[in-house]
Amino acid sequence: MAGGRKSKPAGPAPPSRTLVLDNGASTIKAGFVTDTTTDAPRIIPNCIARDRHRKTFVGSELEKCKDFGEIAFRRPVEKGFIVNWEAQKEIWDREFFDDKAPQRCDPSETRLVLAEQSNSLPALQLHCDQMVFEEFGFSSYCRVNGPAFNAYNDVQAIFQILRTPDTTIDVPAEVILLIDSGYSHTTVTPIVQGRPLHPAIRRLDVGGKLMTNYLTRLLSVRHFDMRSDPYIVNEMKETACYISLDFKGDLEKTWKGTRGQRSQDYLTGAGIAKDYVLPDSHTRFHGVVRDYEPGVSAKARKGAVSTEDILTLRNERFVVPELLFRPSDIGIRQPGLGDLVMQSLSVLPVGLWPGLLANIVVVGGNSLYENFIQRLQTEILERVPDSCIVRVARPEDPVTSTWLGAASFAKHQHVEKLAVTKQEYEENGAGWVARKFSAGLGVEL
Amino acid sequence: MNNFGVVELASAKTTNAPGWAYVPDTRPAPGSAALPSNRKRAARNHAGLSLSDASARQDAKTRKDLEVLDRDTHKDANITIPPRTAGSRAQNKHTPNVRKILQSQKTFANHLDDYQALVALAETNPAAAAALNPANAQPKPAPPPTARNSPAPQPTPSTATSKRSAAAAKRAAAAAAKEEKERKEREAREAREAEEAAAGAERKPSPVPDDTTTSDPPPASDVEMADAPSLPQSYPADGTILPAYAKPPPAPHASDADPLLVSHVPAFPADDELRALMAAPPLSYLEARARWGDEERRYPPRAFCEVCGYWGKVQCVKCGARACALDCLEAHREECVTRYGL
Ligand SMILES: [Zn+2]
Ligand SMILES: [Zn+2]
Repeated sequence: MAGGRKSKPAGPAPPSRTLVLDNGASTIKAGFVTDTTTDAPRIIPNCIARDRHRKTFVGSELEKCKDFGEIAFRRPVEKGFIVNWEAQKEIWDREFFDDKAPQRCDPSETRLVLAEQSNSLPALQLHCDQMVFEEFGFSSYCRVNGPAFNAYNDVQAIFQILRTPDTTIDVPAEVILLIDSGYSHTTVTPIVQGRPLHPAIRRLDVGGKLMTNYLTRLLSVRHFDMRSDPYIVNEMKETACYISLDFKGDLEKTWKGTRGQRSQDYLTGAGIAKDYVLPDSHTRFHGVVRDYEPGVSAKARKGAVSTEDILTLRNERFVVPELLFRPSDIGIRQPGLGDLVMQSLSVLPVGLWPGLLANIVVVGGNSLYENFIQRLQTEILERVPDSCIVRVARPEDPVTSTWLGAASFAKHQHVEKLAVTKQEYEENGAGWVARKFSAGLGVEL
Repeated sequence: MNNFGVVELASAKTTNAPGWAYVPDTRPAPGSAALPSNRKRAARNHAGLSLSDASARQDAKTRKDLEVLDRDTHKDANITIPPRTAGSRAQNKHTPNVRKILQSQKTFANHLDDYQALVALAETNPAAAAALNPANAQPKPAPPPTARNSPAPQPTPSTATSKRSAAAAKRAAAAAAKEEKERKEREAREAREAEEAAAGAERKPSPVPDDTTTSDPPPASDVEMADAPSLPQSYPADGTILPAYAKPPPAPHASDADPLLVSHVPAFPADDELRALMAAPPLSYLEARARWGDEERRYPPRAFCEVCGYWGKVQCVKCGARACALDCLEAHREECVTRYGL
């Protein structure tokens, strides 16, 4: 490893154990790191949920919930930032600090490395720092730009670059263009030597939540009202939606045809239509995607065939993730992902473009849509000169990628440049801490 | 039912069939004000109902729809935190800061409004802005009246777009824009740097909360950061940011050796230029939000049938909703009557 812990000349040695948190709006990724070990991260629902029997589930207790019908969620993180600390504290307490917490630690002997979304509000950052030191009492802490953590992963491995076994892995990567598409939004972050280039960070306010809500609306217009079942719709979105590589063609294939004459593609499904069997909350707790069988959903609706609730998904499968590339389809006045990348590059020296375009890494749950990488590559190739090499890659697990990068960062000497001790907080004040985090790593390598 | 008409948008010819208008789809965006020419044409066909009415209705609906799509939950889930039984950590007393934070019921939109108000105040009255800071702010029942209450995707003021046939222009533009971009970037960067230098003092209270006015003991004082990051003056030659560009390019390409291509590789940015970028401060939340540029304005947004999702070839004159053909438009009528009356 290029890293290796170096303790500061003054002050006590840093704690030997670090809690690494990627505290997302949908899930928390959490795990411990020491000099020699990295735990596998746990994925914790970042919500307090209440089911239709009025039973409440906090964080990972949601595993015990079987009936997601009409479930309601309260989320501490809004737009990617921790807003409601009453709820967030409850979840953190139960996951990390209570006696029986699944990942128990003593904050006074632990360092916290926390990933934060770009372009936060100063008040929310202040609240976070105050909670970390004054309420939880971590002995050491740093709040770092989340997307930039991905530069501390083995980026060459993500691009499957062949190398000899004895090659040293350089972290952070020299240049990457990180695209993070999560629950709240989608961001583009150019990163040089682990430093995010702040003037070029751009955000598209399309994320998993909006897409689930959009699918909910389409289903409500065309099938039945599922506004009370966000969990079920989200699952449907994740298993049945895909990104079209031929939007016009796919839309034609899913057109029903004229009134008198149904189109042939519509009748056969053209390989696009799928039947989706909804969970019944008795025997089937998760929905199931099936190949389209003409007439099945209609019969099921009339209760003639079975007790299954089946709906046929057609253009809903691809118009929903299409919002990442054409948000104007529903009236959002923001550029799609292809133009988002170009807007980010446009504020950078042209000399940086080739390096960034050849090292595009996509993370976040939305990158798991079928065809995401191919479509993104196509969109970018349409916008750059022919001579540009555009490479897009997705790490093996795009959901935990930021956490893994943060864990690698926690072992790297860079963490010592940023971490703040509780003592420093008490001596210098929260404003000093905020400025230190805001300044980031600086430019000294 | 005579009020029910449709506007077919696919062709440019017009007919005088009652309740129908065929107009070319030249509108720049569903969100923008109706074009005067359309209004005239629509008025001719529908007494009392103009296309601008429908357009306004469609705008309002789009805005409302986007707000709903932005919501976290369908219903306001007022879930109280369940009591913990055994094994809870002994509860230490909260500090005053923590008590305030835990009691706050502010949403992100409230916080964003606060921030924008503070930034605005800092421009007009830096002293007052410095006195206020997020740490001291009491939870307010309502956001300041001047600020928008919702962070939902905001309509940017639309500008009429010149309708260039742009499909092929992209590539040419990409090449031609390079120099232009470089120039713009430099100007933007210089402007930004100058602005930062000038506004450094007054910006401080808003982006970075200052705790000196807090009466609560910890944190006690707020010292200036002695090692506050400033642009470094000199560096050893081997300390360049990206020395490794001597390495082979990541993906070998068949035409890598082509001298014509090699000559087009843009010059690598100077080290100090890179350092300035790496040290630049974060943008604010709204500054980082991507907006439509010229590229996007060039393409008219696609319109879809609100019923089945196919292309929205015809338009309900009453509310502006799109439909693919007559049977979907019929299906739309029911909802339209419920919403807007006959
Ligand atoms: Zn239709
Ligand atoms: Zn209508």
